[in-house]
Amino acid sequence: MLDLTAVKLEVDAMVAAQVDAPAQFEQRLNHAVDLLLEWGQAGRWQELQQMTQSARVSWLLAEFYGPFAEVIDAPTRESKLSVAATDGSQIFPDRHEISPCFLLNIGYVLLHYGSGERALLSSRPQLFWREHELYQEWGGRRTGISRDVVGFRRALLELTELAELAAASQRAGHSTLAIIDGTLIMWSLEGRPPEFRDDCLRQIRSALDLLADRRIPLAGYISQPGGSDLVNALRIAMCPMSMTNCDRCPGLQAGPEAPEPSSESPPIIERPCDPLQGISDAVLLRRVLQPGQRSAVFGSGSRILDDYGPHGVHFFYLHVGKEVARVEIPTYVAADSQLLDRVHAGVLDQAQKGDGYPVSLAEAHERAVVRGADREAFYRYLEEMFVRHDVRARVSLKGLRKRAAAI
Amino acid sequence: MTHALGSRSLDSFRDPVPQGADPLRQSNDKQIYGDSAQISHTGEVIESSTAQLVAESVRLHGAPAFGQFVRIETEPMPILGVVHNAQTQSLEANRRPSAYGKSEEELRLEQPQIFELLRTHFDVFVLGYLDGAYPVLAYPPQPARIHSFVYLCDAPQVEAVTANDQLLRSLLDAPGLPTDELLLATLCHALEARDPAHQQAYVLRTGKELSRLLRDDYDRLSAIVRRLKERQSTQVEQTQVAR
Repeated sequence: MLDLTAVKLEVDAMVAAQVDAPAQFEQRLNHAVDLLLEWGQAGRWQELQQMTQSARVSWLLAEFYGPFAEVIDAPTRESKLSVAATDGSQIFPDRHEISPCFLLNIGYVLLHYGSGERALLSSRPQLFWREHELYQEWGGRRTGISRDVVGFRRALLELTELAELAAASQRAGHSTLAIIDGTLIMWSLEGRPPEFRDDCLRQIRSALDLLADRRIPLAGYISQPGGSDLVNALRIAMCPMSMTNCDRCPGLQAGPEAPEPSSESPPIIERPCDPLQGISDAVLLRRVLQPGQRSAVFGSGSRILDDYGPHGVHFFYLHVGKEVARVEIPTYVAADSQLLDRVHAGVLDQAQKGDGYPVSLAEAHERAVVRGADREAFYRYLEEMFVRHDVRARVSLKGLRKRAAAI
Repeated sequence: MTHALGSRSLDSFRDPVPQGADPLRQSNDKQIYGDSAQISHTGEVIESSTAQLVAESVRLHGAPAFGQFVRIETEPMPILGVVHNAQTQSLEANRRPSAYGKSEEELRLEQPQIFELLRTHFDVFVLGYLDGAYPVLAYPPQPARIHSFVYLCDAPQVEAVTANDQLLRSLLDAPGLPTDELLLATLCHALEARDPAHQQAYVLRTGKELSRLLRDDYDRLSAIVRRLKERQSTQVEQTQVAR
């Protein structure tokens, strides 16, 4: 139960602090646009490229492959195109429930455009209940599977199943585009136990191998992206140091002469690049792109990609009409102008058909989603089957209490 | 994974039970479901009571015609009914169809998913049941089972159901049905099921029965007879119906 009156004062303070923000933000945004247009033109971008390569910063920086301020008009979509999409949903393991099993539900969508062929919309649940599926042992320590590991398994299954679906479609003679919701960069694998990480990366690589081998373009679609790889690179352009090194930032109070790292967090007055703080790539490019246009293709500097084998991840921003979305593509797509055009035109068309969000992804989500009522029904069915077959099982007292909270 | 990477067929991604086949492209169904899935039923019962039932049409927009006689294959005996309503709507309660401003053909080419999200349902008024081959126009002892298949009645069955005035009584007594419309439509189907040589006699007999059943309501009777005449003039080349 949330006591709204108790939080009211804090909400008021938050709103008051944000009233002045737009004017300042506008000014900073204009500055960012100027920087983009200045450094992103032919003959100039290489300079910033060199500066970013030698910079020592903690943020992700976009890699450039050409005059990155350019905008590209949408090519026309092939008249016959099939779009494959998957999405996943889950019932997390719940130790307060009758069994600690978990469930993944994958929604499949294959839409054929221009041929009048029937759409494929389906979903398939998978139950994980075996000992080795519910417990993991890394570095000699055995623990129950956690929510984020279930999340990883789901993300992997979405990708591998999408690769299979798209491959099957292409094999049936359809020129296919594969779309997945969210990023292709599994950056959160960084810092995971090596065995787990390697297993996940192997699956990612084999899915990408399959798609690259069949020459099927893959796109990860990110709506309302918060990434600022490009803006971060522009921050380097603002840096007064000849070779950017944030540890020696002139904005630090201690000054560049005394780079003694103090044990407390360094007090910051104002860094020269602070005006660009808080601006995302999408907000910046909304000023530059017209509906339908895409930005240049950038490279991602995420470290996890070092383990993607031959497959890097690149991205561009696409003005789909109602927003600027981020579209991530593997290297084999970025390097093949025909596939790149198919992604540009296909994803744009998908977003327009779906009123701002790709229709195939929206339908895949509808197929995949497991709602609260479904979850309840699943556990009650499980309970009934356990009882009917005399399997000993019990719901925790907390679980029982949640179901019927007595007064 | 049991399959080698990239070797699965498209069918392995489809739902195991084919649902709501495509209406306009029936030839496509073969290609999609394979020849083994020849569908002979027209619907499947999804709500059932003694007097009424609702069925989901196998094909989108493919419900039996208004007033058509249907047979539901169920236990303990097949049930007979007449279709009195059909509707097409969204499969999901929280998603409403909205206007696209495009022709159906354009939608089929560029928004193919919407045809998978719509279903046609039809309502059946229960007339009776089949005792062997013999139709009994009385409520069946048990309602049709959910998921029973619905078939169109063949001509001999229609002829048997419409052989006496019990059908007219059932329809006239049924509450909440568009009775007059249904009378006319069922009569047309009854005529179609008969040999042309016997059609006039059937119309005359029906007219007489109606005038007996509706003797207290002259306006209604004459309206029905007038409309019957109009239909009759196009269907069978007869002008004189009932006098």
